[in-house]
Amino acid sequence: MSKPEFVYTTYIETSADRLWQALTDGDFTERYWFGHRVTSDWKVGSPYKFEKQGAPSIEGKVIASEPFKRLAYSWDSCSPEAQRESTSRVTFDLEPRGKTVKLTVTHDELDERGVTLRNISGGWPMVLSSLKSLLETGQVLMIDPPTVACKEKADA
Amino acid sequence: MRKPEFVYVTYIATTPEKLWEALTSSEFSKRYWFDTEVKSDWKVGSPFALVMNGTTTDVGEILQVDRPRWLSYTFHHVLSEAARKERPTKVTFNLEPHGKLVKLTLTHEDFEDGSVILDGISKGWPAILSSLKSLLESGAALAIPPSALAIEGYDGP
Repeated sequence: MSKPEFVYTTYIETSADRLWQALTDGDFTERYWFGHRVTSDWKVGSPYKFEKQGAPSIEGKVIASEPFKRLAYSWDSCSPEAQRESTSRVTFDLEPRGKTVKLTVTHDELDERGVTLRNISGGWPMVLSSLKSLLETGQVLMIDPPTVACKEKADA
Repeated sequence: MRKPEFVYVTYIATTPEKLWEALTSSEFSKRYWFDTEVKSDWKVGSPFALVMNGTTTDVGEILQVDRPRWLSYTFHHVLSEAARKERPTKVTFNLEPHGKLVKLTLTHEDFEDGSVILDGISKGWPAILSSLKSLLESGAALAIPPSALAIEGYDGP
């Protein structure tokens, strides 16, 4: 049987290059991704990581990087409860549609009934709703995300 | 095996009352739902219809009305003969306040195996709900060309 995947599509009134910047620029992600900053040089094979207040939360390698069209990276959550799960994969497809961009996020290679599957299924709609609001209105959404940050786990 | 269903969650900077109005007002729905009017008196057991530019595309019956938290109706696509032969499916909206936001969860379920409408609704809902979110937050719906959805069998504009 195939492994579970999570697919989410949203349409955003923006340009593909601005959306690309929003996905790859740490200053941008910190605003809509609930404090998580991303860093990478975005070359295929290069590492990337998300950090919240200096503590790593997500890390992996860049798998595909076609500016303004497609970005893919491997996904390892540094949450202790997800440590034994296999590395999953996230792909962003950006397609211009009239004055909007259709953004499709596919998170696959997930473990059946895993913690990561549960966390990302709740997390992506929050992150992508906030991203859409920021690009369209200049305001992020104030959501209390579930506690998936490694720092809080480490402190517990 | 799990039955096919389509679930979509979005967070909108609005109030449950405004979102309820957007889901049940035909004037409102025309703006974000590809010129489609939602028609019903929103009482349990009453008929429900979607009317796009004067053509009825979907019909159903109101199953649950708990303003402004739960709204549910049966959903039967009637534009094609193949769809008409299928049994009605079920659409449920759940509105949950989250601070200054509303978490909207749409669940579309009870599809027959091999349903001919599953492809269309899976492509349609993200566009409709994206446009709804934009309209409530910015005052302007999205201008997504319906043909951009690439729904199988759709030959409209």
